Amino acid sequence: MSEKTNVRRCAGGSSKGQGTTLTAFRTFTELVLARTDALGSKDAFIFLPDDAKGSAPQHLTYRQLDQEARRIGAWLQQNGAAGHQVLLLFPSGLEFVKGFIGCLYAGAVAVPAPLPTEQGNHFTRVSGILRDAEARAVLTDSDNAPDITAWLAAENMTDVRCLATDAPDHGDAAAWTAPALTPQDLAFLQYTSGSTSDPKGVMVSHRNLLANEQAIKNSAGGDSHTRYGGWLPFYHDMGLIGHILQPLFLGGSAALMSPVSFLKRPHRWLQMIGDHKVTIGGGPNFAYDLCLRRVTDEQLATLDLSSWRVACNGAEPVRAETIRAFTERFAPAGFRPETFFPCYGMAETTLLVSGTPQASRPVILGVDSEALEAGELADPREDAPSRTLVSSGVVNADDFDVRIVDAETFKEREEGTVGEIWVRGESVAGGYWKRPLTNKEIFDAAISNGKGGQDAGGWLRTGDLGVLEDGQLYVTGRLKELVIFAGRNLYPQDIERAVQGTDKALGIGAGSVFAVETDREHLIIVQEVRTSKVTTDLRTLATGVQAFVGREFNIPAGNVLLVRPGTIRKTTSGKIQRTLMKQLFLKGQITPLYEVLEPAVRELVADAIDRPLVPGA
Amino acid sequence: MPASLTGHTRESLTTWLTERIALYLKRQPSEIDAAVPLAEYGLDSVAAFGLCGDIEEDFDFVLEPTAAWDYPTVHALADHLIAEFAAAEGGAS
Repeated sequence: MSEKTNVRRCAGGSSKGQGTTLTAFRTFTELVLARTDALGSKDAFIFLPDDAKGSAPQHLTYRQLDQEARRIGAWLQQNGAAGHQVLLLFPSGLEFVKGFIGCLYAGAVAVPAPLPTEQGNHFTRVSGILRDAEARAVLTDSDNAPDITAWLAAENMTDVRCLATDAPDHGDAAAWTAPALTPQDLAFLQYTSGSTSDPKGVMVSHRNLLANEQAIKNSAGGDSHTRYGGWLPFYHDMGLIGHILQPLFLGGSAALMSPVSFLKRPHRWLQMIGDHKVTIGGGPNFAYDLCLRRVTDEQLATLDLSSWRVACNGAEPVRAETIRAFTERFAPAGFRPETFFPCYGMAETTLLVSGTPQASRPVILGVDSEALEAGELADPREDAPSRTLVSSGVVNADDFDVRIVDAETFKEREEGTVGEIWVRGESVAGGYWKRPLTNKEIFDAAISNGKGGQDAGGWLRTGDLGVLEDGQLYVTGRLKELVIFAGRNLYPQDIERAVQGTDKALGIGAGSVFAVETDREHLIIVQEVRTSKVTTDLRTLATGVQAFVGREFNIPAGNVLLVRPGTIRKTTSGKIQRTLMKQLFLKGQITPLYEVLEPAVRELVADAIDRPLVPGA
Repeated sequence: MPASLTGHTRESLTTWLTERIALYLKRQPSEIDAAVPLAEYGLDSVAAFGLCGDIEEDFDFVLEPTAAWDYPTVHALADHLIAEFAAAEGGAS
């Protein structure tokens, strides 16, 4: 086979010998059945409920999981949901796991989504998902079933059945029959893409799922002794595929807690790693930052992180300063530098694309900022701004083909130059549910040879900008206007619409939301205001916007500019030019009627104004 | 060990809250004006959950995360806590 210089095999490779037996499974359902048969009394999952005083862990063995999945699977089969989509609306906990595996047992397509009553989420988003996915049934727990049933009635969806999986009188495990599934059949739809008004479900087949679980194993390592551990939302791709399905794939186990437990008391996550001897697990970069700020010296002294072999850091930009500071701060608790596992992936590739080779430290590279903006990697110069990139690791050539491609010409770019990251492989999903036109563009792109010809296609356009150098993949930015906070993908139009709903004086369709970067990302809200309609003062108006965004979207909204009508730039077709608005903002060329800015953002803008213009800019 | 719910004043709780909130908002305590809405400093749900967690740890008192929005300034939160602590102590004895 041809070895491209920019694609390197993953170091380690201890798992290679087992690859053939694992791929013997045609579907993930077959795999789970084999695991539960072989591992009966072993703990598959341990869940730690949220409690100030620390409550008793809940255990779920492989045999219990099998019994519950048969019962739920039988109910789904009896209610005509086999072969159809089933929405999962659960709080974090073992019921979600039973419900998800129950769907696999039924031969149904699971559709995990955030529970509307948790963390300020609203029914609006799940209503969009319910309709787009054409769900036949909803699984939830008995605490939430009344609200869900009322919601289904309000949505005029009374033919959608609702089951509280913890109600023992539903479903008969003995009535369950093993589904006849093929690798091409869908295992689940992952709705992390698309705005609230236009949700997009990534179609993950059993083949995709098995391929990516193998890719994760190849990259992070792991075997039946591995214990995963984490706090990510169960419906999140990194939570579900990384921390729930990967342990089942390995025949290992996982200790899990809820995001709220973690956000309230970040040290609980680290304490769980010691208490339950967690070997693999992690979260987005912000989680490590939160531990740095919140874990006290007294708490640190009680931690034992020596079992932690792989600390995943992905789903949002990985920051060198976080890696350095966390490694230093938690070294006394047994945290090792080579434990950090910066990685890259997305729902469209099922999950993982690249990761840091086992027993290697993250690769950190300082580059010249100006050259990077021009699309090249160059050594930092003295007295010139520089940027520190953290490598998202290497791509295993057995699992993926990754190229850097010019997003305009579709020609492949050379090593060391920036372009859009294109990905091909068994893990790449079939596309978005019911979106053939988008899928042709996003999931079946072809690389041009520059002479009018092109390759066979089948490439996923990730929308992320990156560069390959010495086998390392560096993610440097984004083509799309997506804003990523704390590992969540947010669509500017959703935030803009919400902002405009807070007061009648704020013009509909006359706002622009984007993110700027210092040592972290900052959300900037620019909104036109019709002064004749202002009934309070501008500061109150801005504070109302900030409170609403902070509360409903869980994003710090420290920066709001209220501007005159006509300030927001649009294309002739009325599309908001967010990238242009961001450039104007950074050059200090937006004149606000009122503004509130975080000190770091104020400094960023002031620096940009003082800096002489780049030649040609 | 959690502190007692009694003996707190608006001043003592204001100092405690300001220090905690400054940490969540990545600011200096001196930058936080106790009379200014916290949203103006970029308060979000991560910070609100953190505050609730700290109150549970330090005072052994469960505060709903919505309190940070219903009582939007440090002063309002301090007054709310004093009232809630008094009610909890009264109910316990």
